[in-house]
Amino acid sequence: MDYILKGFIEALKLLVTLDKEVYKIIFLSLFISSISTIIASLISIPLGVFLGIKEFKYKSIFSRVLFTLMSTPSVIVGLVIAILLSRRGPFGFLQLLYTPTAMIIAQTLLVFPLCMGLTYNLSKNRGKKIDNVGLTLGANLFERIFLIIRELKLDLIINIVTTFSRAISEVGAVMIVGGNIKNHTRVITTSIAMFNSMGDYKKAIALGLVLLLISFTVNSVVYSYNQED
Amino acid sequence: MDLCISKLRKYYHNKRILDVDYLNIKKEKITGIIGDNGVGKSTLLNIISGLDKKYQGVVSYDGKKLDREIYKNMTLVFQRPRLFKRSVYENIEYPLKLRKVNKIKRKKIIEKIIKRLKISDIKDNKGHLLSGGESQKVALARAIVFKPKLLLLDEPTSNIDDKSTKLIESEILRYKEKENATVIIITHNKKQAERICDEIITIDNGKVVL
Repeated sequence: MDYILKGFIEALKLLVTLDKEVYKIIFLSLFISSISTIIASLISIPLGVFLGIKEFKYKSIFSRVLFTLMSTPSVIVGLVIAILLSRRGPFGFLQLLYTPTAMIIAQTLLVFPLCMGLTYNLSKNRGKKIDNVGLTLGANLFERIFLIIRELKLDLIINIVTTFSRAISEVGAVMIVGGNIKNHTRVITTSIAMFNSMGDYKKAIALGLVLLLISFTVNSVVYSYNQED
Repeated sequence: MDLCISKLRKYYHNKRILDVDYLNIKKEKITGIIGDNGVGKSTLLNIISGLDKKYQGVVSYDGKKLDREIYKNMTLVFQRPRLFKRSVYENIEYPLKLRKVNKIKRKKIIEKIIKRLKISDIKDNKGHLLSGGESQKVALARAIVFKPKLLLLDEPTSNIDDKSTKLIESEILRYKEKENATVIIITHNKKQAERICDEIITIDNGKVVL
């Protein structure tokens, strides 16, 4: 038990003394997860809303495929992206493997179905009525999609937060395509795994605490926004 | 030319729920549609408004099949209106914004309508938090603010007090007179239909009983 307590104290010290390595890892994690979440949300939210309100053939099959993709294992996404970006792969010439860009690509593809699935489901259940009102008031398709996004703003923010949480907490994809290179592609989750295997618990605990703190902060913001609404 | 419906059939799970051989709804008049629950009144309104396009038959207005241009000049007020999560003023402003009416003109039009429907004191309140009667008035204001030529109303005074009902009825009559609009109103209240409608159509079991 003693080493756990010591770990906590050392972890707090690292955070308070603004340890360069720890903060570099934190900022890279936030950067990669934020960019992936923004890209995924910008595309998947309007698309999810559109597909949710649209009636089309095989919609139920589409729903099942989408919901399956929502839980794609991150290592699978990492593996596919690594193969595509490897030197012998079709996109090898871009030389992106083991770079933050590759990590952003992998995380974006990983969280895209999640954000889209949540939005699609929300729009399917609650978007149709809003769409009908927009239609009867003369709004075109783009105006109606924008209207639904605005009306379901709070639920969509919760979806985005869920997407961000998935992005920042995943380890498999970023480990495979990023390689966990010090000062270059090392993020919170890959670091925790590495420090743990090295027995460096204080750094692992410090980063674990930060991960919890990020999650708490993001969810608190959403909660207070929810209360205001 | 009027609103003409011919050979209209609507099926739901292989069951025929609407079967109208011919129906002529006069232009610039108020037509009331009455009938029991579940006989197809709202379905008919949904078809006319373009919300429901899965039907057989022809619906035309002014001799033309319903198209985007006609739909733009038509609106439907739902039985349980859904107001947006924004102020009453912004709710009413929405259709005008869609039609790119400038801000000064918008303000002028909205102030007038708000005054007429006696909703000035709630104009800053959030639309989705209003009571039933207030919602009905705001929904009517939002529907007529852009002066549609065809106004469809699905029980616009259900579950509201007499005072609000009278106000809504007089606004419907005023609107029809001033804008020469065609109004179709679904109501359960036969007396109301007799009070404000020029013509009354009864629907029973999906069929028109004149």
